[in-house]
Amino acid sequence: MGRWMFLWMLVAVTIAVALAQQAQSQSRSHSPKAPESAADNGQVQQITLPQYPLQIPPGPNAEVYRRDCLACHTARYVSMQPHFPKAVWQSEVKKMVDVYGAPIPDTDQALIVEYLVAVKGVEATPAQGATTK
Amino acid sequence: MGRRRFVSTLISFSGLLAAGHALGWDPDWAWAENTSQDPSDAGAPTLARFPQKAELILLTDRPPQLETPLRYLLTDLTPNEAFFVRWHLSGIPTKVDRNTFRLEISGKVNKPLSLSLSELQSKFEPVSLVAFAQCAGNFRSWFEPRVPGGQWSSGAMGNARWKGVRLKEVLDAAGVQAGAVQVGLRGLDEPPSAKTPVYQKSLQIDHARDGEVMIAYEMNGEPLPMLNGYPIRLVVPGWYATYWVKALSSISVLDQPLKTFWMDKAYRIPDNAEANEEPQHLAPTTVPISQMPVHSIFVKPAPGEQLRAGQPYQLAGVANDGSSGIRRTEISSDGGQTWSDASLGEDLGKYSWRTWRAEWTPPAKGTYRLMVRATTNSGQKQATAQWNRSGYQRDVIEHQDVVVL
Repeated sequence: MGRWMFLWMLVAVTIAVALAQQAQSQSRSHSPKAPESAADNGQVQQITLPQYPLQIPPGPNAEVYRRDCLACHTARYVSMQPHFPKAVWQSEVKKMVDVYGAPIPDTDQALIVEYLVAVKGVEATPAQGATTK
Repeated sequence: MGRRRFVSTLISFSGLLAAGHALGWDPDWAWAENTSQDPSDAGAPTLARFPQKAELILLTDRPPQLETPLRYLLTDLTPNEAFFVRWHLSGIPTKVDRNTFRLEISGKVNKPLSLSLSELQSKFEPVSLVAFAQCAGNFRSWFEPRVPGGQWSSGAMGNARWKGVRLKEVLDAAGVQAGAVQVGLRGLDEPPSAKTPVYQKSLQIDHARDGEVMIAYEMNGEPLPMLNGYPIRLVVPGWYATYWVKALSSISVLDQPLKTFWMDKAYRIPDNAEANEEPQHLAPTTVPISQMPVHSIFVKPAPGEQLRAGQPYQLAGVANDGSSGIRRTEISSDGGQTWSDASLGEDLGKYSWRTWRAEWTPPAKGTYRLMVRATTNSGQKQATAQWNRSGYQRDVIEHQDVVVL
């Protein structure tokens, strides 16, 4: 029995180690999809921006989020955020529409909030609820 | 507490990483799903290499927001390739033709100007200045409770020697008319949709003509990297970088304050000296962010770095302000009960940051709370507590818990 337990533990540890190593390689050598480019012929300076595409997490209305939000900015705007209560996500979506002029139909806004809450939501605490802008 | 959680995740990861490397097992499937779930929770930052830049911490790629890794903050001047990048709108300039680029000066002036780069460099006296630049939201991820926005740690700042011409001289050449109150500033970046507000900032006319605000065409002796504002950017010494308009293409002299989202709604702080408010009691009035307060951080030890009991260690970091320069930096190794002076690095002028060092020998094993605080030449000190809804203008006395083995 001791031997089986040892083997199972070995498997578990190996998987954990592999996950961590992937994290490392992800962070150290996340290579751009476009080659580095900075041309300067003396008069014209030009660069080619690399892209670092991100697989968006699955969730309700993910396609609405992709269509309406990612036209103007990368999904990393959401992926880098900590988890927030629904009120914060509602105000963020409202801000995108009202002040940044995001062309998001009214009917889509609640759907996007639902997605954001699913992937980056948290129960409201009094403190966080008040951080909405 | 977000920072502490990050550090502990980092520590637990690094142990596993060493073992993982030894085993050499590298299954692609294992991480893929995890990444897509939530990279911000993964602990290890994603690094990215953009044109003319070193490998920097990736916040976003469209538009680019790149953070300077901590290790670059040890030197008096930050290398151009490591200098942070922050654009607001996805239509950023990627191609500039020196033959056709013009800086337009218009509005309430006697003679509107359209200056080529060679005219700008030949018709006005070149000036040089070391100035510290910092994003208003630098350290946003250190605020607790957390707030939405770019989740910067410490690397949305850098120190550089800028060369250019005085904005005052350019305005004088155009002839500012009586009644002018502000200058409106914009660059080559374009919004992604017609309804998105163009990135514009304004400065009071007296500020614009103070002889210090500069139109810079060199950074550390070289042309600006494209991502840092090639071919010219505004340098507003002592003020947050939101005013340092990149790829500056238009200056309009105004007889009414500029009405723009970027002054009226964004980049505003509670209307009090320490930009402080409470989640339950938000400040009733806000004002545009402006001059940088005094602040200081540890660069060494880095988060998660372990020290040895009885072995001398060089603590190091930077201190900065936006008005008179740093006079003093002090260190505590007992959570702020006692303080001792750190030695300051070279004084490169009142708008430069100041590096600091201090030797500390941990007396015994255990966990220590290191703290750092700075004082300016004019006597300004750091805040002891601070929070605001947007995570701006961090100036609180920082601490770093370090494990001594």
